[in-house]
Amino acid sequence: MKSGSIYLDNCVTSPMAPEVLDAMMPYFTERFWFPGSFYSTGESTNDALSGFTHIIAEAIGASDAEIHFTSGGTLANNIAIKGLAASAKKGHVICSVVDYPDLLTNAAWLEKQGFEVSYLPADREARIDLNALRQAIRPDTFLFMTTVVNHVVGTIQPLKEIHEILKAADHKIYFHADAGQAFGKMPLQVDDYGIDTMSISAHKIHGPQGIGALYQRKGVRLGQTIHGIKRADNLQTGGLSIALIAGFAKAVELNFADLPGSIRQLRELSDYLYARLQEKIDYIELNGATGEERAPHNINVSIDYIEGESITMMLDMHGITVATGSACASQGLKASYVLMAIGKNHVQSHGSMKFTISRYTTREQLDFTVDKLAEITKELRARSPLFNAMKNQEK
Amino acid sequence: MQYSQKVLDHFMHPHNVGKMENPDAVATEGSPSCGDQVTVYLKIDKDSQVIEDISFLSYGCASNIATASIITDLAKGKSLEEAKKITYADAMEALDGLPPVKVHCSVLAADTLQTAISNYEIEHGLKEVPNFGKDTILAELKKIIYPQVGQDIVTLKMVKYVGFSDGEVLIDLNMLSFDSWRDNVVEEIHEHLEKYPEVKKIKVNLP
Repeated sequence: MKSGSIYLDNCVTSPMAPEVLDAMMPYFTERFWFPGSFYSTGESTNDALSGFTHIIAEAIGASDAEIHFTSGGTLANNIAIKGLAASAKKGHVICSVVDYPDLLTNAAWLEKQGFEVSYLPADREARIDLNALRQAIRPDTFLFMTTVVNHVVGTIQPLKEIHEILKAADHKIYFHADAGQAFGKMPLQVDDYGIDTMSISAHKIHGPQGIGALYQRKGVRLGQTIHGIKRADNLQTGGLSIALIAGFAKAVELNFADLPGSIRQLRELSDYLYARLQEKIDYIELNGATGEERAPHNINVSIDYIEGESITMMLDMHGITVATGSACASQGLKASYVLMAIGKNHVQSHGSMKFTISRYTTREQLDFTVDKLAEITKELRARSPLFNAMKNQEK
Repeated sequence: MQYSQKVLDHFMHPHNVGKMENPDAVATEGSPSCGDQVTVYLKIDKDSQVIEDISFLSYGCASNIATASIITDLAKGKSLEEAKKITYADAMEALDGLPPVKVHCSVLAADTLQTAISNYEIEHGLKEVPNFGKDTILAELKKIIYPQVGQDIVTLKMVKYVGFSDGEVLIDLNMLSFDSWRDNVVEEIHEHLEKYPEVKKIKVNLP
């Protein structure tokens, strides 16, 4: 089987849907104009842009004017967080130790600028500690931010409860949501949770890479942090790729035409995957929440006594792409900070494997993956001093 | 990770892998917390002092398994004196090189072999248990690889001062404040020195 023929790392990026490419093509070729130009061609692009914006806004229950296009989730997170901080000028921010690096690196930057940040702890399933949130709120807290679906273990944060707590504070606390992993994987209407700003991106739901959006609730003021030629609005300086936006809208259309159906399909596949893993491999443990509190596309397991880079490389030789939380496979040789923060030990982190599926994943692919993984596990455990020591103790 | 074909071959089909029953010497180095651990077993002919058989177990990444495999190949059939000269550089050369961040794996494999030989020699009265001191600390620091370039921190002159008194190890390191490998190096220093019962406390000073 050729490399990458079974792709189970969809949380990083996902293959583009063929319909998306078709939807983009005309805007790359004959209808390439920037929106906003005064001449008639620019006008027609404007009309197209309005239509696409509406599709994306509707998916999260926003109005069209609340959507700003960005190059992806990271830029959206930066514009929102830095923008809210610029408006507040000083004060206190709350996030958590299990957040996505976009939020944590922004938090670290804010600290350097003189803001104060509280990092909430999380429970063993990576759910943030709500009592700690209640206690962390101060008179000068102006921002709470969270990663709606945890990027490592797929746990969905308790948005309703968070919303209640923020609402009960005696002053306004802005709620920024990083929805990179959540968008298209769960019902996420911004009004349901009082979300003020939110980042989403296209390429995680089979749209093109290089396009995302920032939701900004009407009335929420974001200080301008990116300066340049104004083509759409102050937040969205520079030119927009109408082709990428067309692709984004098509990807949203495909994903949201039947959202409950999309979610059900993913959940059935990941339930199937986890059941097969449990059946074929012993000494295995699920990381993260179960059932409805887990995003439907993520299965993260720790395979005891063996190390993830070895597993990943062996799977790769069978054309299977899966991610690991092992330090050996990371650039900085560090164990997954999320798994360590939720009380897993080093062996569980080094032996963690993250499968993220998509609507293009089939049961046959999952069967093949689990069969190969079971063989690999057996082989690597035979080589492992930890496994041999454990077997000796059992005797 | 860009591995040579030799590394991939030894990773996929390691030589001399598996637990040995009734070995003459055994050593385990590394720790699961750092993501790599190697055990080496030796069968030694008493008269000729030749390593008749050798095997290993490895918990770790591909390069960990491959370097342990090649170390056993290099040592098999050698006399103890010859085997004592095998270094991590020999293992790397035999594998057509390793990425800089993976050089520490070859150090671990070579180290485990040397510890197994040393254990055998001590047990058979061929040498005395060495006294712990500054030299031991320096020898351990020479096993710590700076991942950015794949050379040890002593050779790279990152170790400015080493002291040892009353069970306390004091090390001054010369690493820039924004060096992203600082945590890794400090963690490795602890891992390498904590295994000695003589060490009660480790203090690493960084600028």
